[in-house]
Amino acid sequence: MERFSDNEDIGAALATLRPSPRPGFAAELDERVAAGFPPAAKARRFSLVTLRARFRGLSPQRFAFASAGTAIAAIVIATVVVASVDSGTGPKTAGPQGSLSSEFSGAVPSAPSRRLTEPNAAVGASGGSVGEQSASAAPSYGSDAPLSRPAHREIERSAEIGLLADPADVADDSAQVFSAVHDVRGIVLRSNTTQGAAGQAGAHFDLLIPSSKLGDALAAFSAIDEVGSRHEATADITAPTVAVADRLRDSQAKIGALLTQLSAAETEAEADANEAELRRERRRAARLGARLDNLHRRTTFSRVSLRIETGAPSASSGGGIWGVEDALGDAGHILGIAAGVTVVGLAILTPLALIVLLTWLAQRTWVRFRRQQALSRRV
Amino acid sequence: MTDRFPARSRGVDQALAAAATEAPREADLAFDRLYRSSRDDVYAYAAGLLRDRAAAEEVTATAFERAYRKRSRFDPQRGNARGWLFGIARNAALDELRRRGRQAELGTDPIDPAAFAGPADAERSELRLMLAAALKQLEPRERELVSLKFFAGLSNREIAQATGTSESNAGTKLHRAVNKLREACDGAL
Repeated sequence: MERFSDNEDIGAALATLRPSPRPGFAAELDERVAAGFPPAAKARRFSLVTLRARFRGLSPQRFAFASAGTAIAAIVIATVVVASVDSGTGPKTAGPQGSLSSEFSGAVPSAPSRRLTEPNAAVGASGGSVGEQSASAAPSYGSDAPLSRPAHREIERSAEIGLLADPADVADDSAQVFSAVHDVRGIVLRSNTTQGAAGQAGAHFDLLIPSSKLGDALAAFSAIDEVGSRHEATADITAPTVAVADRLRDSQAKIGALLTQLSAAETEAEADANEAELRRERRRAARLGARLDNLHRRTTFSRVSLRIETGAPSASSGGGIWGVEDALGDAGHILGIAAGVTVVGLAILTPLALIVLLTWLAQRTWVRFRRQQALSRRV
Repeated sequence: MTDRFPARSRGVDQALAAAATEAPREADLAFDRLYRSSRDDVYAYAAGLLRDRAAAEEVTATAFERAYRKRSRFDPQRGNARGWLFGIARNAALDELRRRGRQAELGTDPIDPAAFAGPADAERSELRLMLAAALKQLEPRERELVSLKFFAGLSNREIAQATGTSESNAGTKLHRAVNKLREACDGAL
């Protein structure tokens, strides 16, 4: 005997088993719905749970707008930060008392630390007067050498400084440069001054400044006019100096030995051969002496390149009138930085976004799997 | 009201008045309609699946809250609102099952046999009791389909939308579940 003849019968019977909610629960839910599901007091506090709930409640369009807005804000902030850092370390904003960047060209060799007192080029020039000569025989500007060689190392220093001036001030600034060089007993190797309109007027100086007074000289130059750029570099030339000095000492010893042989020569031919070799060795000693002298000069005097510029560089640094070209230039600069920041940001965020996406997909798949598993259990 | 404010405040006043009389958003109205038409159905489905009144109430409240939060994301092109709502309710119910991670104990069985007792329809009451017992013997997947169909009153199409299957697949599984119920009742004779 069949209790239910068809699906309609069993459906009707099942409908009578339909559970109904408690009136109290229904009324409470009605109130919550009418109030728009206000968050509970505990949930009002900021937490990851509430944040997550808010994000989940966002529509895709709003979420996209929020994401895009956040990304744009991040790019703008990063651009401003990078631009400010870039301009802060750039040459244009280096003031008279700005920080200096020292550049060490080449590693410092582990040469023996010793004071150079070997005979120098004067040996070769004296023509046979081989003997002990002190460092006082070095060029006259060698008096500053000990101050420029801390810990007995041979340090070569150089500097570049750019001044920004109005065209009318170029001549006056040039005169002040000469005066400053004179004050520190420096040497003007070359100078070139041009008068004219903005952008054309300017000056260029190649200077030798006693290394011990380089700081004073640069301070004096910086006080002449607005500093557009300033750069200092150092190079340790102890190793080549010591090597040349050693070779010079060997050469001088050889000259002494040749002189001894020459005095002991018994035949004319032997004496001629000794003299010929002595001449060659003296020429070699002279060359080495000249090289050593040049190395000493490089440490006692610092080469300084000074430029006085007018026109466009001045305008871009705020010294002139800021115009449309400057605005376009700045806009291009900012856009370039923004593009760079965007590319770097994408390079960082793309793999992260991929990981997040894969994690989200894996989590979603796992949750679905677990839900299906939950249905497999008998309840 | 406008008399209380100077003339320069008239614009703000009008805006406030307009906002006060403005009709609620269409999504809110649609949700309200959906809630009123589906509250008892969602509860019946959850109670039929979970067989626990407290859990069913929690799932029902959770489902409507989730639906309310997501109401702007409902896409009519992907199915009707009831199918979408029951998809949410189903996820909430399965989350509840998953969270418990054990067989739900019948603290209070939503199907109360005492409600069917009565001298006038003793035979019907007996049938209902047999049916309730047979319902307990069904697999959760089958009981879920029966709950969706006969407790919540969903069409096969809506069941398919809620469970993420095809309409024919949902119909076939439902037919098997009903046959199982019938066989269980017949076997109890």
